[in-house]
Amino acid sequence: MIEQNVVLFLCNWGPHAAFQTLQDRQAPIPEEIRMVRVPCSGRVTRALILKCFEMGADGVLIAGCEPGSCRYGTGNSAALNRIDRMRRLLHIVGIGAERLRWGGFLPDDASGMMAFLENFCQELRRMGKTPIVPPPPAADRPVTEAAVSGLLKRHDIYACQDCGKCSSACPLTLTGKPFSPRGLASQLMTGAIEAPEVLNDLWGCITCGLCDDRCPSGVHFPEFIRDLRALHRSGNGPAPEAHGGFFQSLMRTMASPALRPNRWGNLDSNLRVDPESPVLFFGGCAPYFDTYFTRFPEVHTEAILHDALRLLNFFDIHPRVLTEERCCGHDLLWSGDRENFVRLARLNAEMFHAAGIEEIITACPECYHTLAHHYAECGIALKCRVTHLFEFAEREIAKGAIGFKPLGRKATFQDPCRLSRLGKKADLPRKLIGRLTLKGFEEMTDRGASALCCGNCAWTGCDRYTKALQLKRLRQVKETGSDLLITACPKCQIHLRCAMEDPFHGNDLAMEMMDLTSLLVQTIQWES
Amino acid sequence: MNVMAAHAMHKEILFTGFGGQGIVLAGMIVGRAASLGDHRESTLTQSYGPEARGGACSAQVIIADRPIHYPYVRHPDILVCLSQGGYEKYIPMLKKDGMLLLDHDLVRPQGEWKGTTFTIPATRFAEELGRRMMANIVMVGFFTAVSQTVSVQAARDTVQALVPKGTEKMNLAAFDKGHEYGLAVLKGRRKKESGEKDVA
Ligand code: SF4
Ligand code: SF4
Ligand code: SF4
Repeated sequence: MIEQNVVLFLCNWGPHAAFQTLQDRQAPIPEEIRMVRVPCSGRVTRALILKCFEMGADGVLIAGCEPGSCRYGTGNSAALNRIDRMRRLLHIVGIGAERLRWGGFLPDDASGMMAFLENFCQELRRMGKTPIVPPPPAADRPVTEAAVSGLLKRHDIYACQDCGKCSSACPLTLTGKPFSPRGLASQLMTGAIEAPEVLNDLWGCITCGLCDDRCPSGVHFPEFIRDLRALHRSGNGPAPEAHGGFFQSLMRTMASPALRPNRWGNLDSNLRVDPESPVLFFGGCAPYFDTYFTRFPEVHTEAILHDALRLLNFFDIHPRVLTEERCCGHDLLWSGDRENFVRLARLNAEMFHAAGIEEIITACPECYHTLAHHYAECGIALKCRVTHLFEFAEREIAKGAIGFKPLGRKATFQDPCRLSRLGKKADLPRKLIGRLTLKGFEEMTDRGASALCCGNCAWTGCDRYTKALQLKRLRQVKETGSDLLITACPKCQIHLRCAMEDPFHGNDLAMEMMDLTSLLVQTIQWES
Repeated sequence: MNVMAAHAMHKEILFTGFGGQGIVLAGMIVGRAASLGDHRESTLTQSYGPEARGGACSAQVIIADRPIHYPYVRHPDILVCLSQGGYEKYIPMLKKDGMLLLDHDLVRPQGEWKGTTFTIPATRFAEELGRRMMANIVMVGFFTAVSQTVSVQAARDTVQALVPKGTEKMNLAAFDKGHEYGLAVLKGRRKKESGEKDVA
């Protein structure tokens, strides 16, 4: 019995003709091949490829037309490009680049096709199965009124006085989106748990927490949304995920215990890490982002991690980094997949404890918030301290003898919601910014705990309204007259850069962005 | 840290500032820490006279491994200045290879003495910690870190014992601030010397 699964995406044109010839001849096509016919190999997205692996494929083949013979001109070259980056990503996440392969075929090349399939399957048999445990089929768990009302109680939504402060603060409502946190709450209270508006609002909220900040009754809306999403996910299946659910697939994949990621392959030799140190630097998903978002060459989020290590080295901390580091799980939790979040969190906790880690330092506000708060909330107790890099930096700099080289830039700051609002630490980055020698610093109209969101959270619900929100934010950036936008979250850079590319605005809203970590590293110096 | 050097130690230290800054208390803490804490010999003399009423006042401390026969400081190894007046008056006496410690918001060094100098915004730190009067204690912390003539433990214990009752916690925070700053300054110098001034 063949235990392996190979998904073959077959372009409708050249490759399909070749494949059909094999079928007509009743050629011994390897049994593990499952063919999916697509209009063009260029239409196979990375989300689709990763989904195959997540669902238990051991290999993925993409057969397109021979270079030069693409029906649409650039379909196969787009596919090649994408596959190239995808292989890099498969290597980092620990699935293995060799499990994804591309072949180019002319319609009459049946024997070439046969060799391609046989060859790959043979190699794959040698490699064996992937370490991924596919998720069990979604159990039939309908969203019941009892479960919803349990959540309403748990999050004290009944305390809502219908005052409307949340709707008037909600940045999404303000863009004109037919969306209302209060409306959602009252519909749920009246039992309309499956109303279309409810489902729309449930996945539309960007969990930015502004409503929470304003509510006089202490209704914690984002957490409620988070748990309601979990309820729906376990019952109703997929949500409107950005990028075809690529990032959710990625995180779920990492919840497989036997997976061994290959993080930190790009580490500069002059960065000092110590494999014995009890202090762990936890990087987060930056390398995946960079491999995915190659269309934003200015956004290089992994460089922020390297700068964070440089900053630690500057203060003589040579932390440990873990090659097998997994995602913290933040986005799984916030997009409703609590089950896999908990799985991931357990694996992480085991890894930290087995390595004897006493302190985790991270530069990502989401990793920080997740490790420091969500793990414990979900019953996973970490035996180590969690420190944000800014806390560490502020503590060290405050000791004295540190100065900053002047930087002839005028800057403003994009607050990361997980640090400034949910974590209530808006002062921390500002203290550090205050220490820099900038030409000027100007706050935006909405700032600190009231800051506007970068437009997306947990890769869920990106739409034209969130885009409008981002444009509003970028206009606020411009209004400060700054020439540099300081960020403190890799994702703020990604989402805002995406909005800057809006073709209707040309270069009007473009602005250089730099993470506060990198800014510190570039200008810090000993003074005595 | 063991502060006992291999060879016998003899350090003459002069603390100076204006009346009311707690200069004598600073000298007292350092001297007593050396004798009762680190089990060395030490002496303290203070200048009386007009300076004690607002001019440049001073406390003279000697710390040594052998008995001290003459308790007055004529050529200090270490000069600690919390006022411009004190600096101007005593700088000519400082040894060429001596060490100069300054509050860098209050003293502007001028003239030809160019030896090892350490500065700290002691008064500003004391203000940030809630009491300007604790500048002397911040300076004692700083002195402990950079001069390495008394042990941290002894200096800290003595601060606790000699400051007014009820202010121990604040004063220990002031001491720690100065000490931490001193360690940072030393580290900064080491880094600069080894060419690691910044993140190249
Ligand atoms: S702000 Fe709070 S109390 Fe007011 S409508 Fe919104 S959830 Fe209800
Ligand atoms: S969390 Fe943000 S997007 Fe969601 S309802 Fe509240 S203010 Fe609106
Ligand atoms: S804003 Fe851009 S990068 Fe962010 S989720 Fe939406 S499409 Fe993706």
